[in-house]
Amino acid sequence: MTLRTSNHLDGAFDAIYAAIAELNLQLPKDKQIQRRPDIVLFGENGQLDSLALANFIVITEQKLEESFGIQVDLTEDDPFSGQNGHFRTIESLARYVSSIAENKTGE
Amino acid sequence: MNSDVFNLRLVSDFNIETLCRYLDNDASWPRVAAAMAPFGQIFPSLLESAERESEQDFCFIWSSLEGAVPSSRKMLDFDLVDRDALFAEVSYFAECVKKCHTRFKATFVASWTLPSFYRGLGILDFQNTTGLRRLTLEMNLALVKALENSPGIYVLDSSRWLEVAGNPWSPKLWYLSKTPYRSEVFGKAAQELKVAIGTVLGSPRKLVVVDLDDTLWGGIIGEVGWENIVLGGHDHKGEAFVDFQRALKSLRNRGILLAIASKNQEEAALQAFQKRPEMILHLEDFAAWRINWHDKAANIAALASELNLGLQSVVFIDDNPAERARVREALPEVLVPEWPEDRTSYASTLLQLNCFDLPQITDEDRVRTQLYISAREREKGKAEYQSVEEWLHSLETTVTVEGLNESNLPRVVQLLNKTNQMNLSTRRMTGHELAEWLKQEGRKLWAFRVRDKFSDSGLTGILSLQASADSCRIIDFLLSCRVMGRDVERVMLGVAVQCCRSLGCAELTAKYLETAKNKPCRDFWMKSGFAYSEAESSFSWAAAQPYPAPSHIEVIGLNRDESECELLRAQEGNVSPALL
Repeated sequence: MTLRTSNHLDGAFDAIYAAIAELNLQLPKDKQIQRRPDIVLFGENGQLDSLALANFIVITEQKLEESFGIQVDLTEDDPFSGQNGHFRTIESLARYVSSIAENKTGE
Repeated sequence: MNSDVFNLRLVSDFNIETLCRYLDNDASWPRVAAAMAPFGQIFPSLLESAERESEQDFCFIWSSLEGAVPSSRKMLDFDLVDRDALFAEVSYFAECVKKCHTRFKATFVASWTLPSFYRGLGILDFQNTTGLRRLTLEMNLALVKALENSPGIYVLDSSRWLEVAGNPWSPKLWYLSKTPYRSEVFGKAAQELKVAIGTVLGSPRKLVVVDLDDTLWGGIIGEVGWENIVLGGHDHKGEAFVDFQRALKSLRNRGILLAIASKNQEEAALQAFQKRPEMILHLEDFAAWRINWHDKAANIAALASELNLGLQSVVFIDDNPAERARVREALPEVLVPEWPEDRTSYASTLLQLNCFDLPQITDEDRVRTQLYISAREREKGKAEYQSVEEWLHSLETTVTVEGLNESNLPRVVQLLNKTNQMNLSTRRMTGHELAEWLKQEGRKLWAFRVRDKFSDSGLTGILSLQASADSCRIIDFLLSCRVMGRDVERVMLGVAVQCCRSLGCAELTAKYLETAKNKPCRDFWMKSGFAYSEAESSFSWAAAQPYPAPSHIEVIGLNRDESECELLRAQEGNVSPALL
């Protein structure tokens, strides 16, 4: 499966969930991130602090490159500002990644 | 294993919190509670006063090159750098590490690595004296040399942690959070750090019991004959078995004992050792074997018993999953690693095991197999004598008594921390803690070396005393199981009584602290002739009465006359100030 298929969004969720599985290795059991679209990642009531978010970004970029062959920069917009909301929830991040993939592949 | 949580201080010039999280999140033994020194303040953290960190057990220092050796920034920029100044900074860093170490049981220092994106001088980077890789190597070597004689300080190879990640360095993480490495590097570092702490705390495995068929060679020797087993030759599996034997031999050369547990007809199985020139391992490489049709778990237990080792010292390797499962179930203390089906992975699987890691290597470790072979010969000879006394006389045993000094300290600490059976108080201490303990007046310690006509067993006994106004108390009384039952214990008591008398004390006492494993010690003391107080679980001897020394043992380094402790006194205080 690649992001060049018609379903970019599913591919984005797969990469994000793979990154969450890896990130959870460094999080205490009671703070591990569940793999659900509505999980709040960053910002008010978010589950990631700034270090965890930085690690999560780098792991997610790595997963996207390894699994789907695309290089993305998820920090193009300041991820810590919270203004654009890309990292607010898993779903908002998946849609953001999906839109970048669409632009890259021209689909 | 116990549920203690050990405190670990993390000192770094970069953001090391990801490592801290991995450590805190790992519940496996040894459980570690990590605390970070203030970010970026590497030298102030190393030089902090002891009081502030009285609760810390271990320290881990992981610095960038520039963080520890400021002039290396110039080196990286190919700016003019004074080579002497560069290495003087390495020495200063090492001195700070040593000072820091006085506050901890053990200190671990990560080696420096050069980020892979630095090409340096390209093809000249190793050859040219200003090459970045060359200088990094040289600085690491200078650091290792500066710390090599500091007990309790260990330089860890950080490049192994970086290898797990395809591209370990992440400039993005650096700019976002001042974290230089990807998460998986910290994950691996956390694992290795716990192994290092476990090595300092725990008892390493000392015996590898191996199967034969399809483990040391390919095929069933009882069916195909020694001529047709797969070993060596122009065959990838045959070569892999040779390499696996070579890996086992390397363990044997490090002092790990080898033994065989195989379901086979012994005569047929031994033919491989006698007739196949490709065999890397020979029978004299094995401390013992059980080749029969009995249950392997029972055979392993018998081997451990014969070699005077606890089951927690044993590793069992067998290609057969059913045999592995049986031993795991019957002998849970034995480590039974999962074993690959692919024969070509046998050697690398063995070499990756961390259960043999030692906090220090002594001369005794290197010759351990020979000592066990000598023990076998000694026991064989026992049957030729009419009585135990006659046999003991025939051994021509010599015991040398010596004080603690710089050269025997690693072995004394090793013995102190791993002796279980003949151990009065089972006191576990680091070299630094022991040296600190000895500083107080009235405290004395002697080490005992034992040899007989079969072998030199090396430093195998420790006795320590604490004198008060009118009595002396034995604090440590421990003897390696290798020399138990040969009356060395009585020599040690003789030394204790003599010293007690020469110090002007009227009574020598000893308190037995029971553990799950030190019943042999109690059994000895009950027969020692000392008076026993059941209420206090203690023993006593009137110092005015000489302790009957065994006549068949020659004691060196001890004056048996009136000034009994003179020689012993002369040997005390030999510990270098550097160790204190």
